[in-house]
Amino acid sequence: MDGDPAVMKVPRSSSVEVKEDMDTKSEKQATRDALIDISFCGSTPMLWKVSDMKKCRSEGVIGALVGSLARQPRQNVRLGRPLELRPEEALLLLEKEKSTAAVRLDTQDCEDEEAHSEAVRLYEAGLESSYQEQCVLALEDKKKTLNRVMNEKENGTEGSGSAVRERLEALDQSFSFPWSAMAVQLCTARSGFSHCPEERSFHSTDCPMPRDEHLNTRFSVYRDLRNKGYYLTSAGKFGGDFLVYPGDPLRFHAHYIALCVSLDEEMPVCDILAIARLGSNVKKTVLLCSPQEGDVVYSSLQWSSMV
Amino acid sequence: MADADASADAGNKQSVYHELLSPSELFEARSRSHKIPVRGQKEFLPSGSEQQSQRLQHSLEEHWTLLAEERVERLGNLVNAVWSPEEKLVELQSPAGKFWQTMGFSERGKQYLQPEEALYLMECGNVQVFYRDLPLSIQDGYERFLSSDTVTLHQYQVFGHLKRLGYVVNRFDPSSVSSTYERQLNLPASDKQKKQLKRKRSQSPVSSDKHGISTEEKTTSEAHNELAETSKLPADLQEPVHLADAPERTWWMEEDVQQKHPKTQTAAPRWDFSSISFPDLGSRRRSERLASPHRSLLPENVDVGECDVSRWLGRLNMKQEKLSRRDMERQRERDRYRRDVNSDREVRRCRNWAEYSELMEERRRRRRKHRPEHLWEREETPLTQPGQCTSHRELLDQIGIIKSSTFSEGLSRLSPSDQWKISFDVYQPDTVAEFKKSHPGKPYTRMCVCSFAGPVPDLHAVKQLSFQSQDVPVTFAVVDHGDISFYCFKDFKLPTDVY
Repeated sequence: MDGDPAVMKVPRSSSVEVKEDMDTKSEKQATRDALIDISFCGSTPMLWKVSDMKKCRSEGVIGALVGSLARQPRQNVRLGRPLELRPEEALLLLEKEKSTAAVRLDTQDCEDEEAHSEAVRLYEAGLESSYQEQCVLALEDKKKTLNRVMNEKENGTEGSGSAVRERLEALDQSFSFPWSAMAVQLCTARSGFSHCPEERSFHSTDCPMPRDEHLNTRFSVYRDLRNKGYYLTSAGKFGGDFLVYPGDPLRFHAHYIALCVSLDEEMPVCDILAIARLGSNVKKTVLLCSPQEGDVVYSSLQWSSMV
Repeated sequence: MADADASADAGNKQSVYHELLSPSELFEARSRSHKIPVRGQKEFLPSGSEQQSQRLQHSLEEHWTLLAEERVERLGNLVNAVWSPEEKLVELQSPAGKFWQTMGFSERGKQYLQPEEALYLMECGNVQVFYRDLPLSIQDGYERFLSSDTVTLHQYQVFGHLKRLGYVVNRFDPSSVSSTYERQLNLPASDKQKKQLKRKRSQSPVSSDKHGISTEEKTTSEAHNELAETSKLPADLQEPVHLADAPERTWWMEEDVQQKHPKTQTAAPRWDFSSISFPDLGSRRRSERLASPHRSLLPENVDVGECDVSRWLGRLNMKQEKLSRRDMERQRERDRYRRDVNSDREVRRCRNWAEYSELMEERRRRRRKHRPEHLWEREETPLTQPGQCTSHRELLDQIGIIKSSTFSEGLSRLSPSDQWKISFDVYQPDTVAEFKKSHPGKPYTRMCVCSFAGPVPDLHAVKQLSFQSQDVPVTFAVVDHGDISFYCFKDFKLPTDVY
């Protein structure tokens, strides 16, 4: 095939800003809705809502799923929500102003007793109405099954109509749908019945993530590679900082292992040897990346013999 | 996901935003599939082709469908629980399910779950936790239950990973590890479990007189009483004179144990064995009668008079040893080349050990007289001498100037570090059927959680952790943004003996 990776159609960031349902509320609300909510668990940024995850992926930020999958929670092959973001990924989203970061302050439980009891009342009312609806649905479902079964049995004989009607009436009288049979939802993301937590919004400058030199280096490299259209995920098992994919990691293999070093950092030769060996073993090219005055310099390592 | 109707009212819009399911959707969820679609092969190069982008779209849609699925459970199958932030525990309100076999604990008649156990069960859809009468979402669970006081996010990720694989994972309790000595004595570790959760048995205030010491001894745990009893041998006051007025003496080294606020039950009584005299019944000069032991060494109300051991002494060393034929042969082999030390006339002339070592030294000196001066009279002398060693190992030991150390050397002197801590005990999945929370037994391994961003454990950390864990191997679980790898260090011994 072609030598260089084909020209990537970089998803335009404007797709997020396309406002679909414009309701009569102010534009600001719609813009706010288009922002991604980053919540912090300690100092780790996380995304909880699927809509946020979709927006995030359309920006090219992949993240890593760390929770149990709702459909099959007792396996490790495929994990579910939340999506854990690397600090670099969260910083990028904040910098591009695609998101707001919020942290639930522990001490701030809802002080307002009235609002809280109102929330409890709403929740209980919701349960009750859900129960009523489910009763109706269950009865209808039972009737349909009964109809189907009876019709199959009778196969359209003469006396079938009245027999069916009798059975249906009996069902109406004797049917019961206990409270414990109701289906309830265990919400993943924080639902509407909030405990009215006070959330503080952060700017990218004073996030609860600890920032040090190495993070800054990694962030510059991350931002640069992302702007070039690559997708990046973490590469701890490969001995590097990032794995660089030419396309979405769901469909493509990684091409590079990126290792972020600052230009003035001394690297012992045995470290370079080790990472080069590793790269050649896993068939990926090793990239040494160093930020330099707003730009990033890349060097790739190739294992070859002396000619 | 609720459909976003064009004419939907604010309520519906609200539920789209908050991912709430409508009752009809909840009802339909009963017939959901439980299979996870298999992921196909990945491609190498993006070619921009239609086929590739279609496949990508398909994968993405599958991905979002799986992720967007909310947990829906029948209300009767859910166990209700309440989060208590003061105790940092989750209290069960309805009877526990199958998970109770390996998780949770009872205290004061109530059933509790640790926060990480509760969060895991929430993710599995078995438990619904309430706080102030409203149900907590998984997000709330992560943000409220996980902290540095309880269990950190990294530790919870390791916990969840292992539990999903089927292991039984408990929090590590350092005081539950029995030391080598206790294991040798086969002491039951019954009261060591979950010490920090039980109310500490307060020790009764102790008066400073001698009886006070024995009563205090009784208020400590039975295990320690057992320990104390087994070390109480008939305290023969062989030279009765100066020990009989020992009431002023305390047998205890920690005299201020009574005045200090009693520590936890693990404070063992310490005897001063240099002041307790044990009768040497094997020596030539022994008395036929043993005086009664000192009052403070005996339990209350027990009176022991003088002991007549003459009959027993008569039977010392009288029993004929019955060796099997093979043992007799072995002994004959050994004795053929063995020379009894006592057959040496000069040794028989020695009256005590001091004279014996003098004799040995003298012999060594005589031997050395034949040594060449230029080698032996300088500052640096040879490490060994011809004829000095009888085996290769002895020789290697003598010429080895760098002494090899074993892993277990100096372990007891290590102080626990703040950075490296064991988090969990892990038991294997196939033991789940017989697993008992009260007697879990020896764990398969112990986990120490760290991250790729942090340092690699140095020898000090590895030694200290393995000392803490005694006979159970320690595994390091390294977390890297959701990716978990397990590493362990194995002790290796270089062969030194040459046969």
